[in-house]
Amino acid sequence: MSLSNKINDLLKMASKFLFFLITIILFLISGCSTSTVVDEQKSSNANLNLESEEKIVVMGRRHGNSYETEPNFINCISNNIAGIGKLNVIKEQHFLDKFYPWFEPRVAPLSLKNMKNTLNKPIVIKQVQDLRIRYMVWVDGSTETTKESGSMTCGMAPSGGCFGFKSWDKTSSYEATIWDLKHLIEKGKVKVDSKGSSYLIGIGPPIPLIAQVQGVACEGISDRLRGFFSNK
Amino acid sequence: MDHVIVMIKRILLAASIYVCALTAGCSTHVVVMSEHPSILIKPLPYKIGLVLNNSFTNYSFTREKDDEKIIISLGDSQTELFKKIFDSMFLEATRFQSKLLAKTGSLDLFVIASVDELQLSLPKETSVNVFEIWIKYKLEIFDQDGSLITEWLVSSYGRTQTRFLKSQERALNQATKAALRDAGAQIIVGLKTVPAIRDWVDKK
Repeated sequence: MSLSNKINDLLKMASKFLFFLITIILFLISGCSTSTVVDEQKSSNANLNLESEEKIVVMGRRHGNSYETEPNFINCISNNIAGIGKLNVIKEQHFLDKFYPWFEPRVAPLSLKNMKNTLNKPIVIKQVQDLRIRYMVWVDGSTETTKESGSMTCGMAPSGGCFGFKSWDKTSSYEATIWDLKHLIEKGKVKVDSKGSSYLIGIGPPIPLIAQVQGVACEGISDRLRGFFSNK
Repeated sequence: MDHVIVMIKRILLAASIYVCALTAGCSTHVVVMSEHPSILIKPLPYKIGLVLNNSFTNYSFTREKDDEKIIISLGDSQTELFKKIFDSMFLEATRFQSKLLAKTGSLDLFVIASVDELQLSLPKETSVNVFEIWIKYKLEIFDQDGSLITEWLVSSYGRTQTRFLKSQERALNQATKAALRDAGAQIIVGLKTVPAIRDWVDKK
């Protein structure tokens, strides 16, 4: 075989390897992306009024047995609304402590009718007025791992690295409901569904390619919630 | 020769540290320390006596299963919680270490609190990746004459709020705090709805 033939073979092999590598990378990048659907429902087209000292509280539902809305997800929404939206937001844990025990998971009102009963207690309504809480946003939902496959072994190879491939799918589904505590009516709902796949490639040090499913859901729901309010 | 002795000493030291680490790894001791929030409630116009005896104030739960020992000491934390609850719920709450033998005198009610049962479940025992704690409290409530009005069982539940695994100590601590918080909420909201207590309040 002549030298030029050998070079041609090598070039062909290199191009095949490059094509394979690009395909793998494209597959992983497309897999890591998340798809998100956000729906909203408003009681009217007008923005919700929020006087300069009035506050919003974002709360997670935790009454169910099978799941509970993650506190870090609630913090994410609160921070996004407060930071980018420039709205007065009271932290969930601070609110829970200030109103203990009336909004604990087992006691918290699940409907506006029950909320009315809670606010009928003079000591509770006084606290609401003192803290100037105007809107309560209840967020219900969770992020679940829906599918897992592959395996990885670490520390067994002579190099001490990892070997294997692992993938998992995550699905976030949340619904936020806005209650106006001044007029005791529901002002709107935002629903977000988000899903994505993550990968962990073990060829020596493990390479994580993580889809930010919950983060994307948080951004989606926060954007829409910000759109509900006009800050005077 | 000295070099060999030093080497043997080092190996023995490493081995003993390894054995100690393995032994300690099979035992978890959680001392629950928690600050309980102030209670938002209008006090009932009664004076009560609250009995928190030594078995309550020093309460510690121990479970030994599959060569793993778990100890949860929550006596201090639950004592603080019960003091706070009853101080807020009633006009006046006087604490005792044991039940008075004679009539309760100026007290309208007499409450004896005890832990009836504590259960826990670890992620490796269930399909869900959370730590869970159940605490069952027994409240024996007596009237001014020392007659038993009711025996009220309060079952509370707490779990870790995150599914990411923390250290077992931190996770059990968090789940126990949640269970204590739940117990407090149930006692504050539920006491007036216990039929025997409702009847007693109506007669007063």
